[in-house]
Amino acid sequence: MESKKVDWFRGVFPALVTPFDAHDQIDEACFRELIRFALPHVNGVVPCGTTGEFSSMSLEEKKRLIEICLDEVSGRVPVLAGTGCQSTRETISLTEWAKEAGVSGALVVAPYYLKPTFNEVFDHYAEVDKVGLPIVLYNIPQCAGTHFRWWTAEGMGIAFENVIGMKDSSGDMPFFMAALEKLRGTIGLFCGHDEIAGAALLAGADGVILASANLIPDIWQEIYQAAQRGDAESVRRRQRDIQVLCRIVANKGGPQAVKEGLRMIGLPGMSNARLPLIQGGEFEREDYEDLRTQLENLDKIPIRQVPLGSSGVPYSLPSDLEPPHLSDLTLRVGEGFAGPPFSEVAHIDLLLGSKLGPVGKAIERAQAQARRGHEIALIRQRPMTLLVPTVTVRGAKARRLVYEEAASGVELALKHAIERHNLPEALLDDICLIANVFVHPAASIRQRVKINNYKAMRAAIRKALEERPSLAEMIAEKDAARHPFRYAP
Amino acid sequence: MTTRPFRPGGVNPALVTPFGKDQSIDEQAYRRLIRHVIADVDGLVPCGTTGEFNYLTPDESRRLIQIAVEECRGKPVIAGTGAAGTRLTIELSRDAQEAGASACLIVTPFFLHPSDKGIYQHFCSVARALPDLPIILYNIPQVVDAVLPRRVVQDLADIPNIVGIKDSSGNLTYTMEILEYAGDRLSVLIGHDEVVLNALAGGASGMILASAQVYPEVWQGVLAAVRRGDLETARSLQLQVQKLSRIFCRYGGGIAVKQALKLMGIEAGYPRSPMKPVGGALLHEDRAEIQLELEKLGKIQTPASAHDFPEGPLAGRFVSVGLDLAAVRDSGSFLGSGREGTGAEAVQVDLLCGPKDGPVGDAWAYQLTYPRHGFEALTTILEPNLTIRPSTLIIPTNELQDLRQANMIYGPVQNAVAQAVVDRLAKGIIPEAAMGSHVIFVLAAVNPQALDRHRLHANAFGATCAAIDQAFAEER
Repeated sequence: MESKKVDWFRGVFPALVTPFDAHDQIDEACFRELIRFALPHVNGVVPCGTTGEFSSMSLEEKKRLIEICLDEVSGRVPVLAGTGCQSTRETISLTEWAKEAGVSGALVVAPYYLKPTFNEVFDHYAEVDKVGLPIVLYNIPQCAGTHFRWWTAEGMGIAFENVIGMKDSSGDMPFFMAALEKLRGTIGLFCGHDEIAGAALLAGADGVILASANLIPDIWQEIYQAAQRGDAESVRRRQRDIQVLCRIVANKGGPQAVKEGLRMIGLPGMSNARLPLIQGGEFEREDYEDLRTQLENLDKIPIRQVPLGSSGVPYSLPSDLEPPHLSDLTLRVGEGFAGPPFSEVAHIDLLLGSKLGPVGKAIERAQAQARRGHEIALIRQRPMTLLVPTVTVRGAKARRLVYEEAASGVELALKHAIERHNLPEALLDDICLIANVFVHPAASIRQRVKINNYKAMRAAIRKALEERPSLAEMIAEKDAARHPFRYAP
Repeated sequence: MTTRPFRPGGVNPALVTPFGKDQSIDEQAYRRLIRHVIADVDGLVPCGTTGEFNYLTPDESRRLIQIAVEECRGKPVIAGTGAAGTRLTIELSRDAQEAGASACLIVTPFFLHPSDKGIYQHFCSVARALPDLPIILYNIPQVVDAVLPRRVVQDLADIPNIVGIKDSSGNLTYTMEILEYAGDRLSVLIGHDEVVLNALAGGASGMILASAQVYPEVWQGVLAAVRRGDLETARSLQLQVQKLSRIFCRYGGGIAVKQALKLMGIEAGYPRSPMKPVGGALLHEDRAEIQLELEKLGKIQTPASAHDFPEGPLAGRFVSVGLDLAAVRDSGSFLGSGREGTGAEAVQVDLLCGPKDGPVGDAWAYQLTYPRHGFEALTTILEPNLTIRPSTLIIPTNELQDLRQANMIYGPVQNAVAQAVVDRLAKGIIPEAAMGSHVIFVLAAVNPQALDRHRLHANAFGATCAAIDQAFAEER
């Protein structure tokens, strides 16, 4: 079969997020900063992709964004612009404009919302093909609602003169394997699903277009290079290093997840996603904490000196947060909730404070008065940490889950918090902690009880020291918050 | 056309199978259950999905059908005889026929997902093997993981001894399609408790339901009302049992029914492994909810309990959290009280907002190290991972005796208190500085008999706002 592959369509392309300013207009300066951040590590960029919230932008905004992108990139790497719209007519119009503007190619999503049949999808692309710009087919059934079948992909990949590639974000590995079987060598095949991108590269994908490549373009370039030289072991190892991050970005509110991640690692001006996506929505607060932990593990969160005593102490501080006030720790409260699954959720109420204050006094009193069913456990001496079960512990299974699994999760969280500069070493002699832990009576899976308590405790420590949530966060969510037990089943 | 010997219809309970703690069948409990329901029903369905048929041996199935025949007082027994394979289905159906069943209820073959042709051949083979046995087809995609295809049903309806279909899907477009294409030849029985009225109004002739052993009289009322064209009555009856029906359908089926029967004083035993009586598909919270609904329905008595709102000087009401009158007065705290609503959902909130650094902070921290059973304090959240500040503890003033009462505090009341505090912060009534420097105690007085979450939430919000307004108004 005649190859239509082009040289520029290979490697790592971030699906760039779109920053908005305080007036909900495109924030040009921040967008340029993002491109400059990614450019050293990538082979191309994608403005107006799904992660770029193209579906929440006007035609004029999309054109503006593509223009800025072309200007900032200025020919150093190809610009693959998202130009897919719901109707054929609109898609052609934007694709024609993009061709004039000078993009290298257009990423054209399957027509969405009204679900056209396969032959209607085929004819849609047949029309877009006539524009004459190199076209990349784009399968993303999670959003579009329609899934290419391998015969559609094969038919379009072969039939259309200007179709030079396909991006598959479905995560459907059998589909991608069929596409490789039918089309490898004919068009460029890209994986768009962060969780399986390493596997797809090893299977023969020509490149990746990923939301997470905004955050870790360097690691994706490393994985791509390893795959190119056939170093499967390195691909597997690095993919595993970033798997949690990939799972969050791919499943939990992509654009918002990436934007909050970027704020953490060094773009403090990055906005939230546009409505209807919100902070604390699909990208839940527990995901924020998870993502932050993962970025810390990848050494992406800046360690800064924050005021304490005469010289200050190192603290792992997201670039958009104010340094925490560590000098007055009379009594701080932090809460953490982590799942899944439901029956193994962890919910921790953490009290952190001076040994001489309310927390220290409470520990002293409690130790003198322990009772059956609510036995407290001193699980660590430095910082002194008391574990208190929230509900009465009944039975050997519950005892094991609380005093072994949950306790070891809490303990490990403390250890990592200290190692990773979430809990400054300088405080440890002066403070003490009370962790109220909740284990559901239906819990069974011991490993999840431990890990969820670990995650909840990491979050609770950070929130206590950083005094989160802020007033603004509380006010923003006062009415939209969904309390799980408020409603009848 | 041949004459059809049996036309299923009316109200038929899908009986649970009571198992003992040792997993053996408790025949006495099973007989007592049948005797409890028989007067209000038109037939019995042993060995259905609710009866955990897939965990029974052929001998056990035959025994359960036999007992149902003995206890049925002349009413028809529709025996569940489905299996994953055709051969076993025929054997079970023959056993049932010999035991005296009036008809067999045969589920779509499951697990290996046969083709449409295979499904047709399955039912056709059973019907031909037992030509005198009336057969009812059974569509339940929730457990089979496949729909019994309408086109297959349409053709099967031509076989003389296939007399009906039970549709448990709850998908009314499917039910209507069956009525349209096979309604002339098959009796359509609704098997989904949440849409009984709708299906009957559309032309179904009766029902086979898990909940028909809990409130058969309600379903008789719905059936009679629909038959006489009184939709108003039918609607109000259906809605009366809507939530319980939903819990039965979605949270464990037979397991949930067993819990309901148990709460009503009818011993229905345990489910068989791997299903758990509680803590699996049916969580402890759901069981508490079943109890609440049975109380509303008058099936069980709401436990009487004394309930008084705290009275006397406001500053003296915080002794329970370790702050006596003098301590409160000297602490420089803001104090307020509010009460809202009438009846069982009335709420009183006594609120104290005091500095962390001092006896209020000490008492606050101590509460979280020393939970008192039935009066457990909890921190207040808008939702998980979104606590409020000033950090706020809610403490019930009435002892929480069960999970239902606890749910009322941890759900609607907690959410309302959180919203009220944030609302008063946003309005500047609580000074922003207090977020870092103060903590709050909320003593929440809620009637143990409160049932309506929506009203409880509204009253708790109103009472907390009033308490905050009073606390901070005095100061200014």
